[in-house]
Amino acid sequence: MSSFVEIIHLATLTIIIIAAFLTVVFKKLLLAVIASSVVSLLLSLEFYLLHAPDVAIAEAAIGAGLTMAIFIFAIRGTR
Amino acid sequence: MKKIVFGIAFILFFSFMLVSAINMRPFGEPTFSEMDDYFIKNAQSEVGANNVVTSIVFDYRGFDTLGEATVLFTTISGIIALFRRVNK
Amino acid sequence: MKEMSKIVKNITKLVYGFIIIFGFYVIVHGHLTPGGGFQGGAVVASAFALLLISYGQLEAKKLLKVDIFSLLESCGLTAFIVIAFLGLGTTFFYNFLANSGGWFGNAVTPGINPGDMNTAGVLPLMNMAVGLEVFAGLGIIVLLMAEGAEYTNKEGEHRNDR
Repeated sequence: MSSFVEIIHLATLTIIIIAAFLTVVFKKLLLAVIASSVVSLLLSLEFYLLHAPDVAIAEAAIGAGLTMAIFIFAIRGTR
Repeated sequence: MKKIVFGIAFILFFSFMLVSAINMRPFGEPTFSEMDDYFIKNAQSEVGANNVVTSIVFDYRGFDTLGEATVLFTTISGIIALFRRVNK
Repeated sequence: MKEMSKIVKNITKLVYGFIIIFGFYVIVHGHLTPGGGFQGGAVVASAFALLLISYGQLEAKKLLKVDIFSLLESCGLTAFIVIAFLGLGTTFFYNFLANSGGWFGNAVTPGINPGDMNTAGVLPLMNMAVGLEVFAGLGIIVLLMAEGAEYTNKEGEHRNDR
């Protein structure tokens, strides 16, 4: 039981680091925005695994939803 | 030169992070727990809410929420002023 | 901003009502389940952002108006401060309705229980006020950002319709 939760923690944190690296590396702006949204979504999953569902809801709604929408508006505006 | 300075700063920062991560307390055992114990024991009977987090945010620490709401209001006032109507 | 393809528009038409209802559920049940005013308002505002992205700006502006959102936001903050001032008989932010037997005043049994909607005194009212403020405010941010992106597209041509 405990080891299963630890495996999920490790996988989530590893994918967060990989996605944060891809955010910097990608040349296309839309792909970078999607990678940073993946960081926020997996961070909300990590908050949920650490027994903080309030912070998880706020992070999933603002970090993965609204921030991505505003970045997409900005990219479409500069095109 | 710049790479050496950045490398030294990175190594220092990373070693501090590593040391603090090794010396971290185990999950769920804070250093001082009297306040948490008081909230967990008395919040349900004093405020009457099942969600202790909401009873802390809106009742025990109400001024914090008032400041947060004021910050949001000020932000939106600034954004409305930034995107205001352009009169030629 | 142009609208997206027909698949995205149909899925949005199917789904955005449920997202808004879920957001209001999170706001209203803030004293029983995880969540509260800020989280529920953010969920509702993300539904507005989905509507605005998939349907383009001209279609969505028939539904979302900046003036109405501004009015709702001011009403939310004013209601929050007025509810805080109503407890001034003892202190500022005093929970004068809890355990009083009247509105939202049922006593709660300690321990793990399924929860009663009619408890927690002044907390549900404050949750509704903050939720109103947050969803209106974040909706204003998303709407005005979309409008600014539209404005920079057409340089040299001043658009006065807001």
